[in-house]
Order: sequence, then C-alpha cells, then structure tokens
Amino acid sequence: MELARAGDEDAFAALVRTHQDRLYAVALRMTGEPHDAQDVVQEALLQAWQHLPTFRGDARFSTWVTRIVVNRCHNLRRAARPVQPLPDEEDAAATLPSSPAAETLAVSARRREAVRQALLALPFDQRAPLVLTTFSGCTYGETGRILGISEGAAKVRAHRARRALSDRLREWK
Amino acid sequence: MTAVPGNEENAAPGGAGGGDRLPCGASVDDLFAQVTAGARPRDADHQRTCPHCRAHLAELQELWAPVEALAAEEVRAPAGLLQAVMAQVRELSRHTWYAVLPGPTGSTRVAARVVGAVARLAAESVPHVTLALGGGHTATPPGGTPDPDRIAGQESESATDVGVAGTRVVVDVQIAVDYGVPIPQVAEQVRAQIIRHLDAQTGLTASEVDVTVVDVRPPGTAR
Repeated sequence: MELARAGDEDAFAALVRTHQDRLYAVALRMTGEPHDAQDVVQEALLQAWQHLPTFRGDARFSTWVTRIVVNRCHNLRRAARPVQPLPDEEDAAATLPSSPAAETLAVSARRREAVRQALLALPFDQRAPLVLTTFSGCTYGETGRILGISEGAAKVRAHRARRALSDRLREWK
Repeated sequence: MTAVPGNEENAAPGGAGGGDRLPCGASVDDLFAQVTAGARPRDADHQRTCPHCRAHLAELQELWAPVEALAAEEVRAPAGLLQAVMAQVRELSRHTWYAVLPGPTGSTRVAARVVGAVARLAAESVPHVTLALGGGHTATPPGGTPDPDRIAGQESESATDVGVAGTRVVVDVQIAVDYGVPIPQVAEQVRAQIIRHLDAQTGLTASEVDVTVVDVRPPGTAR
C-alpha cells in the first residue's frame, strides 16, 4: 500500500511537471499577479491530488485541472481583488504612439502592459475564454469543456472578449 | 501568430450576415475575426486590392499586435512550485486514510485524523499522561535529539499516528508521563482507554495500539 502510494506520488509529480507552466500561464493572465497565480496553481494541484480518485478516466487531466485553476481564479477575484486602476488616459496617449515605426522596446513593453490591464478589466465570463483561446491556444471545444459551456458559447464569449479588449485598447491609444 | 487552431473555427459568430460594413461591402466583423482569431479571409483576392480593406486590416493588426506579443511571451511556473505542491501532497497522504463502517443504507467514513484525535484525547484522560501536539512545540527532526523539555509530534503533526483498514485501526501513540509513575501500567491504561473510546465513539476496533513513551517530566509541569 505504502509502495503504491509512493508510486502515485511520483506519477503525480510527473503530471505537475508536464502541466505547471501552462497552468501557471493561465493563472497569471487571469489574475495579473504572479503571487496570486502561484497560490492558485498550488492550491488547484493539491485539490486535484485530493480528488484524483474521483477523476480517473472521465476527462483529460489537463482539461480537468485547468478547470480547477480557472474556478479558483474566479473565486479569488470575487473574494479579494480591488478593482484595477486603469492607466491614465493622457499617460496612455503619451506612451502609446500609434506609429509602429516609433516603437522602441520600452514602448512595446508598455503596450503589452496595457493589454494586461485591459485583460483584467474584462468580466470573468469574457476573460476566461479569451485567456484560454488566444493566450493558451485551446480550441473552442476544449475551452467549452474547461468552462462547462458549449463550444458555441465559448466561441461567442471569446469573440465578445476580443471585441471588448480591442475597444479598450483603442480608447487608450 | 494565430492562437486558435482548427479550420472549422474560423468564421466569427454573426460574421456571415449583418453588422457594420466597409464602403466596399466587406464585413467589419469578418476582418476583425481574421486578425484576432486567425479566421480565413472571406475574399482574399478582393482584400489584396481593396484600399478600404487594407487600411482597416492594417489598423486592426496594429491594434492587436501587443495582444499577440503578450500571448507569445514565454511564461514559466516559478521554480519552487513543484516542490511546494509535492511537499503538501506527501504531508496529506500521511493523513488521508478513512475508516469505513458499512451500514444497510450507506457507509460511514471516519477520517484518520478523527481517529487520531479520539485516541489522543483518550490517552490524555489517563492520569499522569501528557501528549504532545506538534502545533506550537518543537518538532524533532528525524535522527535528531529530542528536546528534553518537549515531546514532539511528527513535523508539527499530532503525536498520534493512525493506520486504518476497514473497521480495524492500528494506533501508534507517543506519550509523555509524569516522572516517577510506573510506566508499564500507565501504558497499559492508555492502551485500554484508547480501545474503549474508539469503540464507543467511532465503532472502530483497535487491533493494535502501540504506545511509545518519549518523555518524562516533573509532575505538575504544564504541557
């Protein structure tokens, strides 16, 4: 018994190693905070371990554990996060030149920061499908399975999120 | 970079019909999906020559470029994450046993730590016995020397170790006793008390109770 459990732990460590970067990336884009992201992923993996016996077989591990991560991001947001201040409009105008030729490395970094902020400003129902598709490369089908919605709904929400994100970025230009 | 694989996903919802259109008739929504979701152009030949389409696409591409840049950033999990998770996993698997009491209309599961708590309290109810709770006490590292003023549980866990299989449990309890008392008798009392309490409170049978006396202390010393 002890041996079997030790074997389980090794197998689980291998699973964690395989999925940790992708899970952390999802959590980071969802929360915007490296610290929160790490907490979320650690807790989610622990939860996955505890429920491993109930999981076996009925879904892909990555789908299942990503779902736990996303749910935890949702709860975290509801529990604690104050509303992110948006970049000041004039600052944004000053730091985000519209001509690509004028871009320096620093400017492109600032523009990515603007995307990060805009992402956090999206409601959860849009942010989650956008993070999963555009940032994590999930298909709409996979995104739907993770979020517990249909493929069509995932597609509609991701599209709406891209619209909202681009509207926000356009405002900030 | 397009992050959405699969050709069947290419049409934007609502992109087929209405919505805003450019002067050339191209759907603004289609162009948006093309840039932001990797959708295939509805009319590639037209787009190559149409100034409206080209201007609009250029504007969208510039707008969306930082999104793609952020998505392309390599994100790696922090170095300590795996270790932290596995440390917690190992800690958990030590204490996630359940005793199962089958019944006619469903089974009752008793977590090992409940059994451990019952055993610990039972042992503590025996005169001249004190038991360590790891919480605020010094833990003894494996192979280390026990702190003479404290008895230590395993790494801030309770001093009671429990193995559970079905309705039979094996309890391994560490106790401290007052100095001067007859240790074998006290240990026997502890054993009997644990068996009695477990049976009364949980319905479980203690098939084995191993008592380890790890410390003596002057009578009247607070735990």
